[in-house]
Amino acid sequence: MSADTAGPETLGSLSNEPAPQDPDSQQAKEISGKSPLRIALGRLARDKVAVVCALVVLFFIVCAVFAGTISNLFGVSLDTPLASARVDGLNNNLPKPEMGPPNGPFTWDHPMGVAPRTGQDNMAYWLYGCRVSLMIATTAAIIASIVGVVVGLLSGFLGGKVDKVLSFFIDMFLTIPFLLAALTLAPILNERFNTADNYATIQKFSLVVVLSVFGWMGTARLIRGEVLSLREREFVQAARVMGMPTSRILFKELLPNLAAPIIISVSLMLPAFVALEAGLAFLGIGVTDGVSWGQMILDAATPVYFRDYPQYLWQPMIGVVALVLSLNLLGDAIRDALDPKTRR
Amino acid sequence: MFAYVVKRLISGVLVVALVSMAIFLLFWYGPSSPAQTVCDRETSNRCGDRIEIYERTLGYDNPVYEEYGKFVKGVFVGRTITVASNEYECTAPCLGLSFVTKQPVKEALVDRIPATFSVAIGGAFLYLLFGIPIGVAAARRRGTLTDKALVSSFLFISSIPYYLFALLTWLYLTITFEIPFFSNTGYFSPITEGPWAWFSGLFLAWVALGIFGCTQYTRFTRGAMVEALSEDYIRTAKSKGLPTRTIVYKHGLRAALVPVVTIFGIDFGTLLAGTIFTERIFEIQGIGWWSLQAVQNRDLPVVMATALFSAVVLIISNLLVDIVYSVLDPRVRLS
Repeated sequence: MSADTAGPETLGSLSNEPAPQDPDSQQAKEISGKSPLRIALGRLARDKVAVVCALVVLFFIVCAVFAGTISNLFGVSLDTPLASARVDGLNNNLPKPEMGPPNGPFTWDHPMGVAPRTGQDNMAYWLYGCRVSLMIATTAAIIASIVGVVVGLLSGFLGGKVDKVLSFFIDMFLTIPFLLAALTLAPILNERFNTADNYATIQKFSLVVVLSVFGWMGTARLIRGEVLSLREREFVQAARVMGMPTSRILFKELLPNLAAPIIISVSLMLPAFVALEAGLAFLGIGVTDGVSWGQMILDAATPVYFRDYPQYLWQPMIGVVALVLSLNLLGDAIRDALDPKTRR
Repeated sequence: MFAYVVKRLISGVLVVALVSMAIFLLFWYGPSSPAQTVCDRETSNRCGDRIEIYERTLGYDNPVYEEYGKFVKGVFVGRTITVASNEYECTAPCLGLSFVTKQPVKEALVDRIPATFSVAIGGAFLYLLFGIPIGVAAARRRGTLTDKALVSSFLFISSIPYYLFALLTWLYLTITFEIPFFSNTGYFSPITEGPWAWFSGLFLAWVALGIFGCTQYTRFTRGAMVEALSEDYIRTAKSKGLPTRTIVYKHGLRAALVPVVTIFGIDFGTLLAGTIFTERIFEIQGIGWWSLQAVQNRDLPVVMATALFSAVVLIISNLLVDIVYSVLDPRVRLS
């Protein structure tokens, strides 16, 4: 600051301290009236990348929430009257020319075309796939962070034997390769609880279970580290001296101070879960019986369809990539905004 | 140091034991009956009452702890397995017979290890081959347009889910453009089918894995390099008039590589433990591909073998990484 204000003829102010401010000035009021969260939000709003990413994410959320309304608006739906009415059995089961690309011109009846073989409408499937993807990722992220926060709080604050046992479990879950565990667990959960009519629901449910069972360790480690340093702080000691019960210290004193790491870990978990949801469906063990982007990708990635109808692959793929990319960048921006050390 | 290694090994053994128990329990109390899938397949969906025979053959009529005991005994001292009046002598470490092929799992596992290891070693080599030089180059040009372009494009690549990246590589290079060199992906034994078939079959998988993975190494190398180049001893080296090449590579890179080597060790272990997406997309019949098959077939012995293999590889590699780290960086004390 001093270097900017110093004129060319003067040496400038020698101290690094900012000039004392009038506590009633407009600037001082602005500074004192802002909570850390407001400051972070202000930083985010100034970050162009973050704003664009937030808009993209918002677009996907709108698609997911109003999937039904939007499909009605375009006159498309999930159910197919008869596959043979839409696909040409003699031409590799590709859509008939009047159904739009790849063999015909664009048509408003099916803005994104129809799927080969089944003749399902791509747009309806894309919209509902977006809903499934976001629903599974959000639910799993919430559950995983609750588990992670509780484990991290307990092991960091209580220390001793509790910490040893919980840390062992954190390390153990980190040693288990996620994909292999998901591969083993998901089909078994599916078969265990399925009764013909709720198969699609059960698949989503077991996916949420798998993702949250193997997603909580990062948060737990992060929170544990934060708690280890927080618990030595004066306000926690004061609370202890006053005889506050441990549960109250944990949830009323420590938890509000952990808002930043929790927000960061959720925002980094979401894109990972979106990617994994589609990835597991692609391997044939996620949502295979309902609507899912991964399922569409798996179907479209067969050489026959890809050679003649690459748009069919690009639609779900752009969905996954755009959502994951913008969530990732937004997560990074949130982390930077919440970190008081970064100055932009 | 010795005490530390022993402690880590004990906890590793504990983890392996817990994982194997968890898998056994999952199969026992999971779906209707694991024998059902096998029975359905072998009687072409006319299983009916014959399920009991299958349950007896596969040992599912015994309590779970008894079968687990048999399994553990097999691993340590070997056991005799009876399948339809054929006796099979399974020496330690015995991993049982596959439910599907009725072949010993151990031999099949050994057969598939070269494929997975080939993928892992080639991919990991490319991680370093691309990652470190690009990271060093970006760090030397810190703040310039080149640096920013490299960093942001690599951030973009690493934000795409890996399997989509690999899938697109495969689809475009082998299906759309039909490049003959890439047309036949898969694992071919370098000894029986020649090193060229081996190389061209795996090349695409290596490239996909390498380009995707190297982004992370570029980031780490760049960060560590920027830090190292701002150290005092670099300034000393500069003021002595050493050539830039010596300063960057001998004094800077050597210090910057320590954290990179650690991360590389962990990643390499993860790759060795099984590359499921790579093997699935490029049709390489290694451990990952095999475990995917086994899970779809409910083939308990194979699932068990692949899971234990990955867990053991991961535990050993993590331990080795910690030891190497303490050797490379004398400030780190293992305790």
